Amino acid sequence: MGQVIKRITDILYRKKTLDDSEVEELRNAFQARYHFFKLLLNANNKALEVMSEMEEALRGDRPFGMTYVRALCTTVSTNVWQIVKNLNELAHGKYDELNSRFKAIQQEINPFIKPTHHPNEGSLTLSLNEIDKGFADQVGSKMANLGEIRNNVHLPISNGFAITAEAYRRFMEHNDLQQEISRRFQTTDRDRIDQLYGLSAGIQQLIIQSSLPQDLEEAISEQYRRLEQEDGKGITVVMRSSALGEDFAETSFAGQYRSALNISGENIHQVYKEIVASKYSLQAMTYRFNRGIRSEDVAMCVGCMTMVKAVSGGVTYSRNPIDVRDDSIFINSVWGLPKTVVDGSAASDLFVVGRANPPQIVRRDIPVKRQSFVCYPEEGVCRLDITGEKDSLASLTDDQVLEIARMAILIEDCYGLPQDIEWAVKEDGTIIVLQCRPLRQSPVQDSMDKFVHEEDDDSVIFTGGVTASPGVAAGPVFLARKDMDVLRFPQGAILVITQALPRWATVLNRAVAVISEHGSTAGHLANVSREFDVPALFGIEGALDTLKGGQMITVDADAQKIYKGRIEKILDTKKPKKMLMEGSPVLEALRGAAQHITPLNLLDPAAPNFKARHCTTFHDITRFCHEKVVEEMFQFGKTHRFPERSSKQLFCEVPMQWWILNLDDGFKQEVQGKYVHLDDIVSIPMLALWDGIASIPWEGPPPVDGKGLMSVMFEATTNRALTPGLKSNYANRNYFMISKNYCNLSSRLGFHFSTIETLVSERPTENYISFQFKGGAANYQRRQQRIFFIKEILERYDFRVTIRKDNLIARIEDREMEFMKKRLMVLGYLTIHTRQLDMIMSREASVNHYRTKIFKDIDQILGLGKARSSN
Amino acid sequence: MDSFITLFVDDEEEFLATVLKRMKKRNLEVVGANSGEEALAVLKSHHVDVVVLDVRMPGMDGIQTLREIKREFPLVEVVMLTGHANMEVAVEGMELGAFDYLMKPVEIDELLYKLQDAYKKKSIQEEKIKQINTLKK
Repeated sequence: MGQVIKRITDILYRKKTLDDSEVEELRNAFQARYHFFKLLLNANNKALEVMSEMEEALRGDRPFGMTYVRALCTTVSTNVWQIVKNLNELAHGKYDELNSRFKAIQQEINPFIKPTHHPNEGSLTLSLNEIDKGFADQVGSKMANLGEIRNNVHLPISNGFAITAEAYRRFMEHNDLQQEISRRFQTTDRDRIDQLYGLSAGIQQLIIQSSLPQDLEEAISEQYRRLEQEDGKGITVVMRSSALGEDFAETSFAGQYRSALNISGENIHQVYKEIVASKYSLQAMTYRFNRGIRSEDVAMCVGCMTMVKAVSGGVTYSRNPIDVRDDSIFINSVWGLPKTVVDGSAASDLFVVGRANPPQIVRRDIPVKRQSFVCYPEEGVCRLDITGEKDSLASLTDDQVLEIARMAILIEDCYGLPQDIEWAVKEDGTIIVLQCRPLRQSPVQDSMDKFVHEEDDDSVIFTGGVTASPGVAAGPVFLARKDMDVLRFPQGAILVITQALPRWATVLNRAVAVISEHGSTAGHLANVSREFDVPALFGIEGALDTLKGGQMITVDADAQKIYKGRIEKILDTKKPKKMLMEGSPVLEALRGAAQHITPLNLLDPAAPNFKARHCTTFHDITRFCHEKVVEEMFQFGKTHRFPERSSKQLFCEVPMQWWILNLDDGFKQEVQGKYVHLDDIVSIPMLALWDGIASIPWEGPPPVDGKGLMSVMFEATTNRALTPGLKSNYANRNYFMISKNYCNLSSRLGFHFSTIETLVSERPTENYISFQFKGGAANYQRRQQRIFFIKEILERYDFRVTIRKDNLIARIEDREMEFMKKRLMVLGYLTIHTRQLDMIMSREASVNHYRTKIFKDIDQILGLGKARSSN
Repeated sequence: MDSFITLFVDDEEEFLATVLKRMKKRNLEVVGANSGEEALAVLKSHHVDVVVLDVRMPGMDGIQTLREIKREFPLVEVVMLTGHANMEVAVEGMELGAFDYLMKPVEIDELLYKLQDAYKKKSIQEEKIKQINTLKK
């Protein structure tokens, strides 16, 4: 198409006069150019929008996932590509060099957003005998830890095997599941938890209904037959997730996935699929999302071990989880399987063992334990009521407590880190380690220990309970009874529940605190609360009956107190919340990609390095192309002697110092002669701007203090660009380039230079205003003061403002026409009234005077609208 | 703007049915196809101005289909619409002459604007060809 324009151009220069058909051709050529120009502006605008979204996401204070990062990068790429393409269409390939710059930048971004491919090696299953801590990449850290303890620490562990990460990948590939899952992810609005629910259920069904590859099915059966040889025919197993990538720094995937107790041989394959599917449980998805863990980095390995028919069981913390300075060993224990300790659903015995030599039991809490979980003979577990006096007996003997403490110390020594260990006592009294993982401790907050709340007693609603996660918070009460209450949970509320079940973890990114009637600090919900820094207080009997939904309360988890209302004195002691996304792989990926996208190096169009080959980021390309396309459009209008299209001087009672270039359909009708009257202009954004320009007459320059004038005079003599007559006409005059919906105003009033570019139509998503303000006489400090003053004004009227040195950029997007018109009036007003403001910037009193006047004027303009300005 | 005909190609029945219905409500003339193969058959028998093409389809995928459309019907504008954000495929599609590459979920109005712009581009191209033919005479 470049050739077409070239031909037309040739014709034009050959002849002096144009016949009708040639005028028609030229009009078409212009229309085509204008169309490319508009497409470029749309793409330019979209690209800038995504870049600012990227910068916002980089702050890391709101959760997002890899699909989001990829979507941002893809949108930016396609739009920058279109910018380059449309510029080259317009300029006959003059900027071809940009194509290679684009490709090069894209190559740099690629590695950060590519899905990671794990090496395709290793077996589908591995016996626990073959595993140690070096196997974390094949079998997940949970199974690798168990292998290590069994084979190198020599503690008793059940026989078992692991279904590896390789098996997971084979399963997903066999059914092409990953592609389908990514597609479903992208098309879901993740801010809406009801949509997430549907997504989660759909993906889990998809996985459960998929078939296992033949060789994987056989490998699992073979391992089970081996277990039968070791432990007896028809033995049942426990199956647990052991996900890869679940243990990034500081993240414990407590209770996010499914485990299945007491599974018979014939159902192992089915349960395997269910555990794999639990990777997409609502809890697990929101957890990954909130922590910035890449979904595709999480390969689901599954551990499968001979079931222990436990007499009693529980969880040991090798140190105090909520006090780093306390090295006592905490043992929570119940009758039967340790299930209720793990899921936090019922009361448990607590033994605290001090690390004296020999270790000693320093504390015993033995509450009434009404229920226990035991195995059915064939498959499954059942809940039994505990009858007789056994319910108030300790579930461990002192010897067992000390033995469990000894094992905890051994395991901690092996890893060099505090541990969280689940164990069971067999019928013959042997203690078996079921699983272990690093324990996350919360530091004590010194000030809290000494803090005395001098509140009246009647503001305290509850005292007591146990601190499951330290901290203080205030918010409205939300009473959650049913699963579906998760959907209604509001941002910033306090979750009040009867049992500390893992499923409530889903709302922890929205909750400011958790209160539970039951549950132990060793449970999953407590773990995740600590990780998310959400204060949690458990064991508050009667909380659901006493507290009312919506009631404002303050929870002091450290002092184990709940107050009516907001108690500011307590809240003041709160530590700042940490950045959830900090250090996460997803944020790192975005950061890596963004360094080739968002930085802007080509700031000054007049600088010698403002060239295509110096574009090193997508932002550079965008900036460069925008500058060039405006130039191209302008030159086309100037160099083609085409009366209807070239620039006219604005006539408004008298000829004004404003020139207008009609790009397309900016005039009501063809305009003859050198002037154009305001009545002939139909450009929506230009008329709005003009309303602002003409609304309130300029009173002339503000009174200048002597120093201010000196400063301006000095700059004017040293900066040639400020001296009239030395620059091209393009730079000196005030030009509107217009069409019906577009307006570009480059103005040089007094000593400052500003550009307004805007598109306003019935398509709100394409509407934007972009305002740039730069330079001006007066010294750097005064220019800075003025620019911050303008920033303050613009922000008051909804603009998003950024400042780089003394260059101000303000934008508004995506608003409907009337709103945009009002904001253009504000800019029109400022274009006239802020000139030479820097001369008065040094006097605080005059600044205040002008601030008041400007706000008053603008409010008046916005209130009166067009009626006033048209007279 | 004068009316124009849009062909939607998507293997997902549900999505296709919904989008056709919603576009008809906005007085857009639309036809649908379930696969790349079917899309090419429709293009041979119907007048179509703009194609909205799913990128991942079984059989002939979106990129292949795009290549075929641009070879056989170079004036037809193609908007890629996909559930998979893939930067490389996106740029490949644009290089093959796609008008734009959009990601699901897409605002229905935004899609409509894109279709209008794509049709506008097609009209301009056609006008140009007419001119070249006149110049040749």
